Amino acid sequence: MAWLTRRNVLLAGLGLMAVLPGFANPYALFVANLLLIYVILAIGLNLLVGYAGQLAFANAAMFGIGAYTTGLLQVNLGFGYWQALPCGALLAMLIGSAMAYPALRLSGLYLALATLAFAQFTQWVFLNWETVTYGAGGFKVPEVSFAWLGVPSHIGIYYLTLVHAAALFLIAWGIVRSPIGRAFVAIRDGEVAAESLGIDLLRYKALAFAMSGFYAGAAGGLYCAALNFVAPEGYDLFQMVLHKAMVVVGGLGSVVGSVLGATLLVLLLELLRGFKSSQEIVYGALLLAFVIFLPEGVISLVKRRLAGWEEPMRRHAASAEPPPSAAAEATEETGRP
Amino acid sequence: MSVLTVDQVSIGFGGVVALDDVTLEIPPAEIRGIIGPNGAGKTTLLNVICGINRPDRGDVRLDGASLIGLKPSRIAAKGLGRTFQTARLFRGLTVLENMMVGLHLETRSGLFGAAFSSRAMRAEERELAERARRSLEFVGFAHLAELPGAALSFGQSRIVEIARTLIHEPKVVLLDEPAVGLSLNRSAELDRLLRRIRDERGVTLVMIEHVIRLVMEVSDRVTVLSYGRNIAEGRPADIRENPEVITAYLGRALDARRAAS
Repeated sequence: MAWLTRRNVLLAGLGLMAVLPGFANPYALFVANLLLIYVILAIGLNLLVGYAGQLAFANAAMFGIGAYTTGLLQVNLGFGYWQALPCGALLAMLIGSAMAYPALRLSGLYLALATLAFAQFTQWVFLNWETVTYGAGGFKVPEVSFAWLGVPSHIGIYYLTLVHAAALFLIAWGIVRSPIGRAFVAIRDGEVAAESLGIDLLRYKALAFAMSGFYAGAAGGLYCAALNFVAPEGYDLFQMVLHKAMVVVGGLGSVVGSVLGATLLVLLLELLRGFKSSQEIVYGALLLAFVIFLPEGVISLVKRRLAGWEEPMRRHAASAEPPPSAAAEATEETGRP
Repeated sequence: MSVLTVDQVSIGFGGVVALDDVTLEIPPAEIRGIIGPNGAGKTTLLNVICGINRPDRGDVRLDGASLIGLKPSRIAAKGLGRTFQTARLFRGLTVLENMMVGLHLETRSGLFGAAFSSRAMRAEERELAERARRSLEFVGFAHLAELPGAALSFGQSRIVEIARTLIHEPKVVLLDEPAVGLSLNRSAELDRLLRRIRDERGVTLVMIEHVIRLVMEVSDRVTVLSYGRNIAEGRPADIRENPEVITAYLGRALDARRAAS
């Protein structure tokens, strides 16, 4: 199975997604669109949690900020979609990077609680600032026209999302293999040591939060156009659990793992479509099972079984393989004069 | 001219005085040992120098420039490195990548170079990796380059941590109990390494240490702290004979050992 390398599999996946509108029905295409949006969300969250080690719970809120901004700018202020989409992503990025300030003082559980409180606050704003956000009922967003390309709206939006997902994947892949990714992992594995080597904590935490905010915000803007509808419950705590589950199932600290995790969970979501009430239980159980039995995620199995999937760095700390050190050191200590 | 100056530094934590008017003048390319009983303020002194704690009074200067109020990362950029009591390798990075984090301050490629894996960024990465490899060779650990940080033993981590600090060519390195928990072989290796760092690299080393043998063996001068005060300073041989030091620190244990031998 030597041909099953990461590059080939990803390219095949991309190729399949590119030709999908040729034969898939509108519903299947919508699910594929959703999958791509979750790929973006999972990659963005993994940069922040899996690489930079910041246990933040505001990803769904950022997703919502992107969607609401993109939608409301069109509905309330008459913006075109092409102006509103970058605004949503940029606003989520700005709000995200502001979170680096509390993250300088808080870590672990405390950061989790602070970001969770922020997420609940955004939910509250979506629900209660009715004059602007239209409250619990949400609001409809006009269809984005792709007449200038001669394709129907849903196909245009699908390709727009595909281009975004591919570009954001490549950017994340570049970042994690660069000195920036190394600085993220250094902060995750030891803040004080990282700082003693000259890594500016505020700057790199802000960058991680900003990137993750941008990814979620862009995903929100794309989601808004895919649904033509925005309502608070799309960006609640269940969403957050879903994003987190994708990252954990795929593999913390692996960009490719995020793609796998998002794919697996969206497909599972579809299988469970008929049992709406059981979805949350299944996700909770899945998250728990992975944390206990496969903390390195699906990607670790793939890496073990197939060649060509190694990632040059960024094993998650919890995943450190059983160290050969004990034995090695023993022989070394005695073996040397 | 001293490379590192600690000038009348005092700091207290909630009423407990940790350092009381401590002054140190450390010349270039010296190995300075700092000893003292538990709670004497040794680690606090290191934390003040590297910017983790801010002193209530006094000044810390590196090459004449004050470090007070700078973030630890800025102080590192000015040429001050440190290692930790429990070696802190980044577990998820390979040993080579750990070394490359030590070169963080020298990376020039920015966000866009990273995001688009620019040619310049990749060339720089190759160059940094090459330097990291050479630094690993300096400590004789080139064969460990591809192992994850988590796979190294305690002693190996310690040596890699020292090498990681040195790679950016700091003027001064603070070592927090470098010999603790090392086997005899490793400890002797550490002696040689510290001397080579001083002689071949001209780096000033400030080391706090409980392992008296190491301090007395490799230090050029020794400072003794007790209850946050600098009670003695001098060549190891003089410190060994200083009656005040013997009572304050070495205490009865040493007397007993002497009596036995």
